[in-house]
Amino acid sequence: MAPSKTPDSPPPSSSTDDSENSLQPFFVLHKALPQKGGGRVNRSGKSKRKINLSASPESAFKSGGGEQFEEDADYHFEQLRIEAFDVVWPKIETTIKEVLRNINGSVFNKIHDWICDSFHAIRSARKPSVWQISCPYPLATDISSRQIHTGLVFTKNVEFVDDLVTFKDLSMHLRSKGCHVVSLSSLDFSGKHGLGGCLRSLLRQLLLVSPDSADVSILASWYREPENCDSPLVMIIDEMERCGGLILSDFILMLSEWVVKLPVILILGIATTDDSLRNVLQLNVLQHLRPCTFSLGSPAGKLDAIIEAVFLKNWSGFYIGHEVVAFFRNYFSMQDGTVTSFIRALKIACTKHFLMEPLSFLCEGFVHEDFQGFWTEKCSSLRKPILKYASDLPSCETRHKSSGVTCESLAFGLSEMKKQHKDWVSVLLCLYEVAKLTKVPLLGIFCEALDPKLYNLRASPNYFAEKIRNLEASAVKKSEIVQLVRRVRNSAGAPLRQLLLAWGKHTEDIAEIHVKLKELENILEDEENTVSQECDEATFKRLKSRSHLNARRVNDKAAELMECMIKNYLRPMECTPLHEIVCFKQVKMLKLALIGDPRRTIQIDLLKSHNYLHYNCGPEGGNAPLRSMHDTAILYTLAQEHGDLINLHDWFQSFKSIILVPSPSKKRKSGHRTPDHRATQDAKQETTSAVRYCRAKNEYNICRLILTPYKRGGRCRSRKAKQP
Amino acid sequence: MHRNVVHESRRISKSHNHCPPIQYWIFPRLHRFPLYLKGASPASISLRLFQQFLLRLQRIPKKIVRLISLAISGMDAKDVEEDEFGFSRNYFLAKDLRGSGKKSTRKLSDIDLVDEQELREAASRIEIKHEKDIGLLVDSYKSLYSKWAFDLRCGFGLLMYGFGSKKSLLEDFASSALTDSGVVVMNGYLQSVNIKQVVIALAELLWDQMKAKRKTSIGGLQKTQQPFSSQSMEDLIAFMDGSQMKDSDLWDKKMVHTQFNWCWYHVPTFMPYKLEGMFFPLILASSGTSQNAKTAAIVLQRMPVNDLYGVCRERFLVSSQVTLNSHLTEFKDHELVKTRRHSDGQDCLYIPLTSEALQKVLQQI
Repeated sequence: MAPSKTPDSPPPSSSTDDSENSLQPFFVLHKALPQKGGGRVNRSGKSKRKINLSASPESAFKSGGGEQFEEDADYHFEQLRIEAFDVVWPKIETTIKEVLRNINGSVFNKIHDWICDSFHAIRSARKPSVWQISCPYPLATDISSRQIHTGLVFTKNVEFVDDLVTFKDLSMHLRSKGCHVVSLSSLDFSGKHGLGGCLRSLLRQLLLVSPDSADVSILASWYREPENCDSPLVMIIDEMERCGGLILSDFILMLSEWVVKLPVILILGIATTDDSLRNVLQLNVLQHLRPCTFSLGSPAGKLDAIIEAVFLKNWSGFYIGHEVVAFFRNYFSMQDGTVTSFIRALKIACTKHFLMEPLSFLCEGFVHEDFQGFWTEKCSSLRKPILKYASDLPSCETRHKSSGVTCESLAFGLSEMKKQHKDWVSVLLCLYEVAKLTKVPLLGIFCEALDPKLYNLRASPNYFAEKIRNLEASAVKKSEIVQLVRRVRNSAGAPLRQLLLAWGKHTEDIAEIHVKLKELENILEDEENTVSQECDEATFKRLKSRSHLNARRVNDKAAELMECMIKNYLRPMECTPLHEIVCFKQVKMLKLALIGDPRRTIQIDLLKSHNYLHYNCGPEGGNAPLRSMHDTAILYTLAQEHGDLINLHDWFQSFKSIILVPSPSKKRKSGHRTPDHRATQDAKQETTSAVRYCRAKNEYNICRLILTPYKRGGRCRSRKAKQP
Repeated sequence: MHRNVVHESRRISKSHNHCPPIQYWIFPRLHRFPLYLKGASPASISLRLFQQFLLRLQRIPKKIVRLISLAISGMDAKDVEEDEFGFSRNYFLAKDLRGSGKKSTRKLSDIDLVDEQELREAASRIEIKHEKDIGLLVDSYKSLYSKWAFDLRCGFGLLMYGFGSKKSLLEDFASSALTDSGVVVMNGYLQSVNIKQVVIALAELLWDQMKAKRKTSIGGLQKTQQPFSSQSMEDLIAFMDGSQMKDSDLWDKKMVHTQFNWCWYHVPTFMPYKLEGMFFPLILASSGTSQNAKTAAIVLQRMPVNDLYGVCRERFLVSSQVTLNSHLTEFKDHELVKTRRHSDGQDCLYIPLTSEALQKVLQQI
């Protein structure tokens, strides 16, 4: 397939050029073309895109006018969606960065304070004299004065991916506070580079040159400079456990020799426990460390904070459906457990949403101050086909069945959605307050609160009573929300009071709830006042038991209020009309984009080749090798019969017998031919089958479905994925 | 617009003489070419980032080594990837063992092997099965071009997998949908990829784009009008033919999160792997042994090491044995020079090229 010829594309290359290029290790296919102002630079004739309106609505566009109109509308909306993505995603990204910075901020400040204290301690205890500073060798002192102040930063995360960013932020933070900071990774402490490798890296970062010889005295003389010597020298090693123990030990011993002249402060990132220090470092090295421990936030805590910020407190107009959240939850807890991959998955979801959903450009309105004005303006410019598309959205089918969606109803629907989401967030935050008492993570509650099926179930009057009774049965899958309601029922005294106060803040905008809350708070306050005013012991006991009963009643009332809030206001996004505009629900698509499974898929491709190449696959649905099949698919099917070890000879013979099955008419014809002619024909057939076999086998090799031994004529080992 | 596109499609057979396990050879010996760019040129920031990107790829060769050993050891218990599919293998093994009494002992040599020349000629003439359907299938992906471009624009790299060669598909995509970006294709199936040359080519391309950008910005073009403006050059678009790989083969988790940002796409084309497989031997060809002998004979310019030092010193090429040794280590690492024990017991160095090729190289130098 030659590159397509388009008005904007470079001149098509000839076939000679193509074959030459394919033998070049690399070649420039084309250079960037200068842009034409306002032109459709990235849209070529061949890649004209139709907005995918999924099945029926596609025709709706066509009814709106000629092809040119369609194309213009298409292009216009695509540009709008790109602009909206550029507004929405950066906002989400900034929110996430801010959350992570805030989580780490307090630890970073503590680390900095400790660094300052350590630096002063080193300086005050062992201030070198002028002579000592200028001498070119380290100062030999006793062991206690050769200790290095070492901060052990526990990451609480076996996966180090998240910590890469954290330690980068830490070094930036310390640098901004005036420290000299060097970041060393486990690669610098690998056996390959030796001690010289990490010294070189160190010098490169501080002196900004690559010295020929790696010598710590170069560093000492650099530090002696007046502009350098007043700041602490911090060395951050982010993955201590992965460092080569011997080299790290040598490195620490070397630094301890120089510690008087080079007031080095070490920061070691540790994923597991402080036992790992003993495992990695030699015993004599440990006595040169003066440790101080710090802990970073856990990944689950970080994730909760991100969800709270992105989807509850600073909603940017993009949402994810229940199934997607459930997938994220599993992906996070079962597969990876890193915040980084969660963010990546979220970005893929966001990209796919703005790519697939024609009306997604309206999401931008959620971040506008004058959101109503924005939607009124955008919706009024919408033409019939796109309004028809909005009317056909599954969430609008019942509501707008007769009248269809109009510009006004669309803008109104979006405003309603915003208001409804605000109420949903208020109730969810109330639930999260209860969850904090029992340290239940937000992700589980968030996932449950988004489940449209559970929302419908909760509508039944005795839902909570029944579910709370069932909580005792261990076999039943426990609902997080039901457990939280039970927790409210069992709360008393100060925690309940705190809870009601927090709820009061979250539900300020829901008048009905706010009034009920005030009533509850008053009852609780009255009871407490009565108990505290009576001092007689007998009456105190009597009142206390009465107050206990009353408290029970307040608990019940609080639990009832919680149930009422959940039933009336915890309406998931997916139960809202027009939610498709903001809500991404395509979990399958997300999975495919996120987790490729090439080996398994390639086998399915071969097994189901008839789905792509339309030939008759026979009665067994393509499982039996047929002559009409793709050659590599025939080999694959035959390999299935052979098992794990494949005899190349037998494989070839089986292949040949399939591709060379002569038709009856051919047999008849061949009867009239001379023996010489038949021999030539046979030889020809033999060559053809050999070529086809070799080619198919090579393709099989290229796909890494087989391992061929070096020795010719042997057997191949088939590499099978889980049976597709 | 400020992007480069690296298209990598790789399948390298290390030797032409026998059928080796498949090896992925992306940037062989990249660490030998560290590129330290200094200065405050407009492109320097991006280039430094690019440099970081490349330097981080240093770990790839290790991965390749792992993969090679994995392939050779085959069913080694350490082979985690294989273990993953343990169930099916055990099942088939059991099945195989049950029928071990009937196990075929026939060999390929029992077949009347065809002459290699004849076989290769026949291979070039052979018609492609289902050509029309394949054409339709590949054409059907054109509707996805804008989606792919959108993903690239959002900062993702594309990783295409599925059966069939995707070389022409990706090139067509780049030619028609990425005209506002420079596109570099790296033919990973060739083992002659020289990372230094690639880096220079990419740097030149980036430099051109930076100049073009400055011109257009002077021309008053708004930032928002530029299709890729929100992403600066720090993102290097990469798309890759990943039909036969398992992601852990080529990169580890750290690299996935820091260097690559893959978005997987299942794109089976069923197109023949014509170019990708051109260095694969045809196992039914009869001239394999002569080829081996031919390669073994390609030993030229043999010279004992001590003599070499003398010659080099005379020509003021090196001043000490240490310098010479460091050069030689470098050459050996790149397999530019190999050693062989001479009949008199001395170590001899030789360049594994034919005399004609060597002469040509000398002429070009």
